[in-house]
Amino acid sequence: MKMRKELWFGFTIMALIVTPVLVLTPWSHLFDANLTRADLGVLGLLMLALVVVAIMLGFPTAFTLMGMGVMFAWFAYRSANPDLAVRQTLDLMVQRAYAVMSNDVLIAVPLFVFMGYLVERAALIERLFKSLHLALTRVPGSLAVATIVTCAIFATATGIVGAVVTLMGLLAFPAMLRAGYNTSVAAGSVTAGGCLGILIPPSVLLIVYGATAGVSVVQLYAGAFFPGIMLALLYVGYVIVLAKIKPSLMPPLAESERRVVLSPVAQTLAPRGRNALAGLFDGLRRPGIPKRAVLGQLVASVLPGLAMGALLILMFHTATAPVIEASTAGLVEAGGEVAAAVQEESVGLIGAPAEEEAGEAQELSPPPAAEEAKPVAEAPSTAPTEQPAAPAERRPVPTWLWIFLGVTVLVLAGLYWAWTWERLEVFKMLLASFFPLALLIIAVLGSIVFGFATPTEAAAVGAFGGFLLAIAYRFIEHWRGPARSRAVWTTTREMGAILKESSFLTAKTTAMVCWLFVGSSIFSAAFALLGGQEIIERWVLSLGLTPLQFMILAQFIIFILGWPLEWTEIIVIFMPIFIPLLAKFGVDPLFFGLLVALNLQTAFLSPPVAMAAFYLKGVAPPHVTLNQIFGGMLPFMGIQLVALALLYTFPGIGLWLPQVLYGR
Amino acid sequence: MAFFLRMQKTLLLVDKISTWVGHAFSWFIVALTLQVSWEVFSRYALDRPHSWAFDVMIMFYGTLFMMAGAYTLAKNGHVRGDVLYGYFAPRTQATIDLILYVVFFIPGVIALTYAGYYYAEESWRINEHSNVTAEGPPVYPFKTIIPVAGGFLLVQGIVEIIRCIICLKEGHWPSREQDVEEVDVDKLKEMVHVKDEDIRSIPAGSGASKKHGAA
Repeated sequence: MKMRKELWFGFTIMALIVTPVLVLTPWSHLFDANLTRADLGVLGLLMLALVVVAIMLGFPTAFTLMGMGVMFAWFAYRSANPDLAVRQTLDLMVQRAYAVMSNDVLIAVPLFVFMGYLVERAALIERLFKSLHLALTRVPGSLAVATIVTCAIFATATGIVGAVVTLMGLLAFPAMLRAGYNTSVAAGSVTAGGCLGILIPPSVLLIVYGATAGVSVVQLYAGAFFPGIMLALLYVGYVIVLAKIKPSLMPPLAESERRVVLSPVAQTLAPRGRNALAGLFDGLRRPGIPKRAVLGQLVASVLPGLAMGALLILMFHTATAPVIEASTAGLVEAGGEVAAAVQEESVGLIGAPAEEEAGEAQELSPPPAAEEAKPVAEAPSTAPTEQPAAPAERRPVPTWLWIFLGVTVLVLAGLYWAWTWERLEVFKMLLASFFPLALLIIAVLGSIVFGFATPTEAAAVGAFGGFLLAIAYRFIEHWRGPARSRAVWTTTREMGAILKESSFLTAKTTAMVCWLFVGSSIFSAAFALLGGQEIIERWVLSLGLTPLQFMILAQFIIFILGWPLEWTEIIVIFMPIFIPLLAKFGVDPLFFGLLVALNLQTAFLSPPVAMAAFYLKGVAPPHVTLNQIFGGMLPFMGIQLVALALLYTFPGIGLWLPQVLYGR
Repeated sequence: MAFFLRMQKTLLLVDKISTWVGHAFSWFIVALTLQVSWEVFSRYALDRPHSWAFDVMIMFYGTLFMMAGAYTLAKNGHVRGDVLYGYFAPRTQATIDLILYVVFFIPGVIALTYAGYYYAEESWRINEHSNVTAEGPPVYPFKTIIPVAGGFLLVQGIVEIIRCIICLKEGHWPSREQDVEEVDVDKLKEMVHVKDEDIRSIPAGSGASKKHGAA
């Protein structure tokens, strides 16, 4: 009886928590309003213990927190003034609820969630995986690498772990098994890759952390960017090394799996020469070959060159123009102003953190964003590149630009020299799947990080972009399908359904997150009223920990909590307890947030409640066991811990970008 | 038996009302997306920002999630700590839920609704307007959302309590109405053109017997 054992274990833990609670409760004072300060503090700790038990029992957490918060807030107020207790409790409650309703950080949650559902339904993951798979055939363990890269991009855009793991479990997992990959390795790369979306911005986790801890979401996004990329690269590196050491785990692909089907024009031109670029120019002059098709291929071919050229021109302008027009002093001043404006804006964004009694409307952040956004929008494009240009104080182009130009020319020359017909075909596939999604992510993320738009604005435009993306992909699919004449009508009907489904799902997810936030903000208010926070603070400080020990302890506790709880609960309930302690140990809340986000990745991969494993099991063939999936996830969990250690040892990985951009 | 069947119909009716309200307010996300996108366009491209944009944005968001609370409860969508709950027999689940609904949910939500009512009433009485900008839009309809959402939530909570009682008597959970799900495996299969036969025909990967793992 396996079930029994788990239940017994759970009940033992609960008993261990409840017994001291029952013993320590100041029963005699509880109902006669004579609670002393010390009694209240004890009551606060009891409340925390009880809430852990209630969560373990499985009651909807939002309402557990709300109910418990009301009760204990009443106890606290009653000990101060019994006559006003009910009034004060009710006031506290409604003000907390209203503060969440008018929270200008959390508002980005539904928008990003909506964008995620729309992108998920755009039906582009199949193309994305296929094109990346063909693009990466030469890499060892290519299918696993393609899986992780697809997951990273798709999960970043959608942020929905369950859907990404399920989709990749349907697409990549069978492909890997057919290619003779080891089951555990295949399962590990799907599950670990699918969870990247909660770390790499724009992620909802970081918004919720920002709202809880009062840290600017903009800075969190800037900070989480490189740690996220680092984790993805570590995964890829691990897979490549493993494939090199033990080729039997990930055998190279069969020739048939690697072959790229060329387009008709390419097929006629290919026998004449290996290089596609030369072949296409040649094809333009030859009779009997459709000119339009050749031109189309040619345009696709020169796109990388054009893109690099545009980038170079942009860099040239930003690097030289200010030096000619203004003196260096003016430049620095302008740069400072921009930085200040960005700072001010981000302060405005988190002006009303959930911590404060932000019940009244006047505490909503003032609208400086409206006026200030304009100068910010115009200026920052020059800001980041000014720093390297300014010290040189030369009118001509700075040296680094020449070096960059040289490197670009070399890269492009190499690229076009190796521009075979197969590569052209793969590039065209990437152009249709990888680049639109990457562009959407970069546009959303870039406009937030560089201060062109607030996270809310970027999220809304991103959701709109996701909608357009879904229309485009659905339409192209129908256009190429059998019923071309009805493509417009079919797409419209489908988009109606997609919009409806996405809206309903968004409403449910948002209600889940935000009601949890309502509950927890009432709960943490009660906790603070009772003085539980003070007791914990005094206790932690009495341990005499060094900052390093404190950090390890905190991350360890969060790691343990990640087993039974979901990330929403951990952040919303336990962060308010940790955050006030950070200042005592001189830990940057931004840095702490990055560590927490990285740490909570493990929550999805650690058995018994590893959501990712169950989603994969749900779509895997019957002979794949849960143990194989868990076994495959373990090395990736190890990598997550390595990444955590790396980030802790070199905080610059996370803090460099916010420092450069916002001068933290 | 007949009583339970009649009861079941009433439960499903309340579910339907909560769902309908939730669905109706779900469209606010579309409105919010369009409004913010338009505001961005209007400000950057047309150079014509609107002073009320911020307030309207907040109101869309706040109304959206508050009014979807009962709908989410009706679909069992509020996050639960699923450590032990899944291992319990339905009767045990129902007992725990029943107790905690009465101890935590009912007092909490009644308090919220009651407090929200007076909060909104005061706002109506003083004709409160948003002071984010000089001539802010009225705030009282927005504050009225608190008691309204609380009321819907309370009714849905009572339905959930009755569900617990039915489960205690019958030994299994009464059914719920279907709704869109975040991970709808069948839909996802259709989207990527995978059929069940395909999954069954997948060969076992290499090294299925010798275990690869803890590196």
